[in-house]
Amino acid sequence: MKAKWELGVGLFGLLLLIWSHYTGLFVAPPEAMMGDVGRILYAHVPTAWVGLLTYLVAFIAAVGAIWTGRWAWDAMVEASVEVGLLLNVLLLVQGSLWAKPTWGVYWTWDPRLTTCAIMVVAFGVVLTLRRQIDDPMRRLTLSSVATIIAFVNVPIVYLSVKWWRTLHQPYSSPDTVDGSMVTPLRVAAFGMLFLATGFVVRRWRQVNTRLAIEVQAPDLPEEPKPLHVEESK
Amino acid sequence: MTGMIEGGWEFVWSVYGITWAGLALYAWHLYRHEKAS
Repeated sequence: MKAKWELGVGLFGLLLLIWSHYTGLFVAPPEAMMGDVGRILYAHVPTAWVGLLTYLVAFIAAVGAIWTGRWAWDAMVEASVEVGLLLNVLLLVQGSLWAKPTWGVYWTWDPRLTTCAIMVVAFGVVLTLRRQIDDPMRRLTLSSVATIIAFVNVPIVYLSVKWWRTLHQPYSSPDTVDGSMVTPLRVAAFGMLFLATGFVVRRWRQVNTRLAIEVQAPDLPEEPKPLHVEESK
Repeated sequence: MTGMIEGGWEFVWSVYGITWAGLALYAWHLYRHEKAS
């Protein structure tokens, strides 16, 4: 597979991420209450935003796959769920490491954390399902339905800090973050977005190629029946 | 006393280390698939 535009997009994202993380770690001021621990913001928040966005892409692709039955949509379901799951796992680990110095525990069954954990399990089931089903059309249908069901939880994750009493802080946005922190946070978000886009598109091409081979492959012949040799009397 | 949490750099480094390691591992996973095909 030749290098395509997504490689450039991914590398650009990587550069933005390096710059923003460096700035967040060494240039930006410590957070007013959390001190230096607050620097986790520049890794954690972009991971959350882009992770949720990647799941939105998976949801759209799942609807497209069921609607049209096209393999390109099916490949996008697999690629975006895979990258979403990577970001989701990173998000939980980052969150736990942030929770310890600020809340005193690595984990608590807080609404935001619990719904995030459910999200990992739900999309993990989608990927497991895809690996268990051999028939491509059956896999497209079942994994798309599973993706749509799993996505129901995504808006709940986003709104959990608004709906329930939670230890987690409300949404972070340029309005809730000091001006000196906005630029590295914004650049980190775009960096993560471009890097994830590069990952998803590259993975999409790989899955697309695999599916094309799978669909074109002739059905295997039936297993030969065992021979019964009659004994001669 | 300002009420600000002091220290905690070990948590900061762990987060950034794990984040970059995760991203690098996924890039490696893509590269290996590329080579295999």
